Amino acid sequence: MTIPDAKWESRMMELIAEVSVMKVSQIKPEHRLREDLGMDSVCSLELISMLAEEFGLDISVEEAAGVNTVSGAIAMARKHIEAA
Amino acid sequence: MSVLVLGAGGFLGLNTVDALLEHGVQPTCGRRKRSNVLGLRQRKVPLVVADLEQQQTLLEAMRGFSTVVHLAGHYPRLSTQPELSLQVAQRQTRHVLDAAAEAGVERLIYVSSTATVAARADRPSDERDLYARTPGFGAYHDLKWAMEQQVAAEKRLRPVILCPGACVGPFDWKAGTSAVLWALKGGQCPPHPDGVVSWVDARDVGLAIARLVKSSLAPARLLLAAQSLGFHQFIEATAARYGVAEVAPALSAEAAIALADCEERRVEVEGGRPRISRELADLIVHGPRVDGSHARALLGFEYRSLPEALGAFDAWAQRLGVGLSTRTEVDAR
Ligand SMILES: NC(=O)c1ccc[n+]([C@@H]2O[C@H](COP(=O)([O-])OP(=O)(O)OC[C@H]3O[C@@H](n4cnc5c(N)ncnc54)[C@H](OP(=O)(O)O)[C@@H]3O)[C@@H](O)[C@H]2O)c1
Repeated sequence: MTIPDAKWESRMMELIAEVSVMKVSQIKPEHRLREDLGMDSVCSLELISMLAEEFGLDISVEEAAGVNTVSGAIAMARKHIEAA
Repeated sequence: MSVLVLGAGGFLGLNTVDALLEHGVQPTCGRRKRSNVLGLRQRKVPLVVADLEQQQTLLEAMRGFSTVVHLAGHYPRLSTQPELSLQVAQRQTRHVLDAAAEAGVERLIYVSSTATVAARADRPSDERDLYARTPGFGAYHDLKWAMEQQVAAEKRLRPVILCPGACVGPFDWKAGTSAVLWALKGGQCPPHPDGVVSWVDARDVGLAIARLVKSSLAPARLLLAAQSLGFHQFIEATAARYGVAEVAPALSAEAAIALADCEERRVEVEGGRPRISRELADLIVHGPRVDGSHARALLGFEYRSLPEALGAFDAWAQRLGVGLSTRTEVDAR
C-alpha cells in the first residue's frame, strides 16, 4: 500500500490528540502512551483500533496491547502499511 | 437468521460473538465511532454503527434484523453520580426499545444483571425474585433495576431478560469484574467485604445467548450463575492459584462501602482506578445466593467450573502479555 509517511504519521498524531490529553504540537515520538499521554489501556487499544480502521490494517489485539510509546505505534503501523 | 449484537466488542460481547459463530450464526456487530473493534475485525464479522446516544443510528442498524442482543446497557464504573447515571441508562434503554419496535425487530435479548435479583432467606433466589422497588443500595443496583423494568414493560417486542452473575473469562478490556483478578494476579489482595458472589463463566453467557438465538424459546427472565460462594472464600481460592503471599481479612460491609466511596471520590480527581469500587462492594454485600439451574435445564448446557473460567482468563491475560491499566469513565456531565 502506498500511503506517504507524512500523511499517515500526521493523521496518527491527530488521532492520538483525540484520545489523549495533549495537543498535536505537544506530542513527541518518545512519549509513552500511558505515563506521558495519560492514556489507559482501553484508550490505547481504541487508538490502535481507530488507526487500523482508518488505514485498513489488520492488527491483532495482542500486538496492539504491546504498544507503549508513540514511536512504537508508528513502527507498528509502518510495518503493517509496508506489508499490505 | 439475522442477529444484531449491541456492545459486541466488549467483554460479554466478544464471548457472545464467539458462541454465535460456533453455533453457525454470523452476527452483525454494533459499534461506536471510537470503539475498539480489533477483536471483531479478527473475527471477520460485519460491523455497523449503533450508538445508544444516537437513536437514528440504532434504527438504521436494526432494520432487517429479527433478533437484537443488547449487551450495551449502561455500565458506569463509578457510582458517584447516581442521578445522572440513571438518566443516561433510562434514555439509552428508551432509544434501544423505540428503535427496535420501529425497525420491526421480533425478539430482544437484553442482558441485565443479578443486581436486580432479590435475596431470599428461605432458598436461593431464582427467576421469580426481582426487587419490587428500586433496591436503593447504590447506583449500579438502581440503574440495572430501572433498565430491567423498562425492558420488562415493553409490549411491542418479545423481550428476554438474562441476568448473569459476576462474569469470569477472557476479553474484559475495561477490567470490570476482572479488576479483582488482575490485582490478585499481580500479587495484591484487594480490599474486600465478605458476602456472596454468584459467578459465571463469560463463555457460558455467550453460550446461553447463542442457544436462545437458535431456539424459539422466549422465557421472560433467566438467571445465569454457576455457583454462589462466600466472596472471601473466592478471594482465598484465587489468591492461592496466583501465589499471593498475604490475603487481607474481609472488611465489614460498612467499612467496605465507606472505603469504596472514598476511593471513587479520589479517582474522580486523580484518575486511575478505585482499589474497591462501590459497584463491587454493593454486589458482594447484598449478593443473593442464585440458583442458575433453570437456564441450564432450559438451554441444555452445563456451567463451566471456576478453574476452567480462571484458566480461560489466564490464557487471555498471557496472550495480551500486559496487565490492563484502566482509568474509570465518568458519565459526561
Ligand atoms: N461483566 C460482568 O461481570 C457483568 C455481569 C452482569 C451483567 N453485566 C452487564 O452486561 C453488560 C455488558 O457488560 P460487559 O462487561 O461486556 O461491559 P463492557 O466490556 O464495558 O462492554 C460494553 C459494550 O457496550 C458498548 N457500549 C457502551 N456504551 C455504548 C453506547 N452508548 N452506544 C453503543 N455501544 C455502547 C461498548 O462499546 P465501546 O467499546 O464503544 O465502549 C462495549 O462494546 C452491561 O450492561 C453490564 O452491566 C456485566
